[in-house]
Amino acid sequence: MDFLFTSILDGLMLGFVYGLAAMGLTLIWGVMNVINLSHGPIISLGMFGVYLLFTFLGMNPYIALIFVALFGLLLGIVIYFVAVNRVIDAPHLSTLLATFAVAMIITGLGTAVFTASPRNVDYSLGSVTIGNATIPVTRIVAAVLSVLITAGLYLYLHRTRSGRYIRAVANNRSAAELMGVPSVRILALSFGIGTMLAALAGGLISTLFPFTILAGGTYELKSFVIGVLGGLGNPIGALFGGLILGVLEGIIPTFMPATWVPVLEFGLFVLILLVRPQGLFGAKKS
Amino acid sequence: MAILEIKDVTSGYGEVQILWGANLDIEDGRLTSLVGANGAGKTTLMRTIMGSIKPWQGSVIFQGQDISSLPAHAKAEMGVVLVPEGRQLFTDMSVEENLEMGASPKRARANVKQNLEFVYEMFPRLKERRAQKSGTMSGGEQQMLAVARGIMAEPVVLMIDELSLGLAPVLVLDLFQSLIRLKNAGLTMILVEQNVQMALAVSDYGYVLAQGQVEIAGPSQDLAENEHVRSAYLGH
Ligand SMILES: Nc1ncnc2c1ncn2[C@@H]1O[C@H](COP(=O)(O)OP(=O)(O)OP(=O)(O)O)[C@@H](O)[C@H]1O
Ligand SMILES: [Mg+2]
Repeated sequence: MDFLFTSILDGLMLGFVYGLAAMGLTLIWGVMNVINLSHGPIISLGMFGVYLLFTFLGMNPYIALIFVALFGLLLGIVIYFVAVNRVIDAPHLSTLLATFAVAMIITGLGTAVFTASPRNVDYSLGSVTIGNATIPVTRIVAAVLSVLITAGLYLYLHRTRSGRYIRAVANNRSAAELMGVPSVRILALSFGIGTMLAALAGGLISTLFPFTILAGGTYELKSFVIGVLGGLGNPIGALFGGLILGVLEGIIPTFMPATWVPVLEFGLFVLILLVRPQGLFGAKKS
Repeated sequence: MAILEIKDVTSGYGEVQILWGANLDIEDGRLTSLVGANGAGKTTLMRTIMGSIKPWQGSVIFQGQDISSLPAHAKAEMGVVLVPEGRQLFTDMSVEENLEMGASPKRARANVKQNLEFVYEMFPRLKERRAQKSGTMSGGEQQMLAVARGIMAEPVVLMIDELSLGLAPVLVLDLFQSLIRLKNAGLTMILVEQNVQMALAVSDYGYVLAQGQVEIAGPSQDLAENEHVRSAYLGH
């Protein structure tokens, strides 16, 4: 029974981070119905951001996160104006291709500069033992920070003027425009926040596992599963979706080969889409 | 003096032209009604004034300033406010949040508290339901909210596209009474209405729109007595 406890605890910790990784994707979808295919590469950039600041400037990884977040925000705003804004009202295929192009550019440049060899952030805070489970403290910190960032996002969306504008634009863009809300600026800001969350998640993941410039892709795929679990367009639901996925990933390898994990995950993905397309925790209708 | 002038405005959707040179002068402090058959272009005219669709030709002059090419949010910021057809509420937000959204223009932010009190006093139903999600309210309540949200913007000109469509007679009376109150308070308004009789009864001046042009214009009382208007729009 002990090993199961360990796996669940482990999975829960990771699940918070997975949830954070999915949050940006689902926020952007919820606000502007755009599937951001550059999500994964931006997660990778977040990883490399922390890696570079830590390795070459000796910066504490958690301080580095602040810079990574700012970078993610600005990058997202730039991507929005360069690639997304002009096709925002076009059919989904156009925005899909536009963000896919951005993904190719980031991945191409990233591979050219960093190659595809694995890196890691060589940073440890030791570990703690709960029962028979030994957990690296970096995992606990990553989980706690993910929860705090989620709470921050919730408060931002519900307690500030620009957060309210984001929800209004998500709900009814032309009405928001009639109320005096400059909707294009709000869309750009939302896209920026979405990519900021992706970069932050990447930065946190870099303190847990080794990674390459292509690693973000894995988390992008997980984000789709999580988004569907939590209800696409519902950033807070993403946290719960992440927890479910994390726990599954913890438990499955204890009784079948780990290679089955993606099979079951995507099996679940298809199942949810078939039986409960609005996600387990409901979602906004679009 | 006209506070809002619409001069030879043409516009439409894609290739399809809907407005063919509309001319209207909206006088300060007056209630102007705009009536016309379904598909005459009333909503298109409202959207064109607002900037949701761009005028192809002609100009929209507000307080002497040409605002034809401004986007809708900039006009709302200046005090040109539209209560759109079909209400267009923020259905996922509460009643009060919708009202707060109405008060988004900078000019309206200082007096949010008083304005909230004002609209709650005008529509007590909204106060009772302030925490309810607006999308779950009845059609009539939603219409009240749409109008109240417009008032929250502290409009200089308030345009209402379909006040009474689909509402029970008692409620229609209520809404028209609110309109009269706003008018007596000095607010300039444009009212688009299916209920031509009511519209002409409460307004000072009226325009009849047909095929994207102004067909007849005049003091509302004259329009109400006009032979053509009576047979075409009042059914007698
Ligand atoms: N988004 C749109 N795209 C294309 N055509 C449109 C659009 N909206 C309206 N139209 C067309 O423009 C014409 C005028 O429509 P509009 O809504 O302005 O009329 P209206 O006078 O407001 O009618 P109603 O009294 O039914 O509200 C109609 O023929 C309509 O089909
Ligand atoms: Mg109409």
